[in-house]
Amino acid sequence: MLVRLKPDATRTGPAEAGLYGNIVSNVRRIIFGANPRRTTVRILVLTGVSVITFGWILTPVRTDGTSMLPTYASGRLTLVNRVAYLGHSPQRGDIVAIRLAGPSVVYIKRVVGLPGERVAVKDGQVYINGLPLVEPYVRHQRAWNVDEVTVGNNEFFVAGDNRGMTEFGATDYGRVESDRILGRLVF
Amino acid sequence: MTLRFLRAFAVCLALSLLSACSWWQGDKALISARLNALVEQVNAHSPDGLGSLARAAQIGKFFTDDVIVELGRGSAPVTGRDTLMAMAARLEPRTSGFTVKLTDINVLVTPNDQSADINLTAEIIRKTPASGEPAASSAPSMDAREFAVIMRKVDGEWKIARLTAVDTLK
Repeated sequence: MLVRLKPDATRTGPAEAGLYGNIVSNVRRIIFGANPRRTTVRILVLTGVSVITFGWILTPVRTDGTSMLPTYASGRLTLVNRVAYLGHSPQRGDIVAIRLAGPSVVYIKRVVGLPGERVAVKDGQVYINGLPLVEPYVRHQRAWNVDEVTVGNNEFFVAGDNRGMTEFGATDYGRVESDRILGRLVF
Repeated sequence: MTLRFLRAFAVCLALSLLSACSWWQGDKALISARLNALVEQVNAHSPDGLGSLARAAQIGKFFTDDVIVELGRGSAPVTGRDTLMAMAARLEPRTSGFTVKLTDINVLVTPNDQSADINLTAEIIRKTPASGEPAASSAPSMDAREFAVIMRKVDGEWKIARLTAVDTLK
């Protein structure tokens, strides 16, 4: 004879069932909020805003190397403001990110010369149109020498802050086309 | 409404899969894979002389016979695969100090599918001498250069015909 057992009400009494239900509903409420649909929308909006902000507006970068010492030490995290030059062009003294083949790896340099200017470096001192440029951010200086060049209409002359490196070359200073400048460093 | 949404979602998914499959089998993917395979060979170091020669021979397979390599200001262009292989074998002790990584590989295949213009960034990461691991982030560990590459299809295989270092800063 088969006897179907009824659920034993004494094992899980209404009080325990109520407690269990409360815990579940509280956990659900903590994770999904009072209104799960609204929470999902919030999460989607936040994700979208984050992707747009950190993908196209404020791109995070980690510095590597010594060419920007003492302003930027190797390994420091910072942000590139990619909309900084929508309204105006880079100014002298701005620290900019310069793209190579794409935006994954960038050079970080300071704008020293503006379009149309003549730039030269003699014994580590930068000269703009024949006049010495005051650069309080430069602490280390060696006998860098760069023959005078005229910066093109669509170019900027950039250089690293660390002029004390024993070796310097093609990736440490030079003219850069304006369309390669991704944006200005925020801090 | 839900059924319509599901249908649209399924169509989008199918289209995405199709485009991903076509990219995966296309020349762009083949070229990227070929360049990454070359980098793997460059990064594989061997301590003995015979190994260096074998490695140089492997590297040579990625280049055409008449390849031209221009590494920028201050260095003369290298012409011919044999010269390049000899250089690769000779420079082994020096190149074993770093690893190369490619990023931002932009490929433009010509309409006849026989040649391609590629623009890429090569990261050069120095290793610490003792462990062979990449140097700590506080050390001057990385350099990056942009390269313009022309590849040609030779006997169905993509090979580098010209490699030129681009002066990002002129």
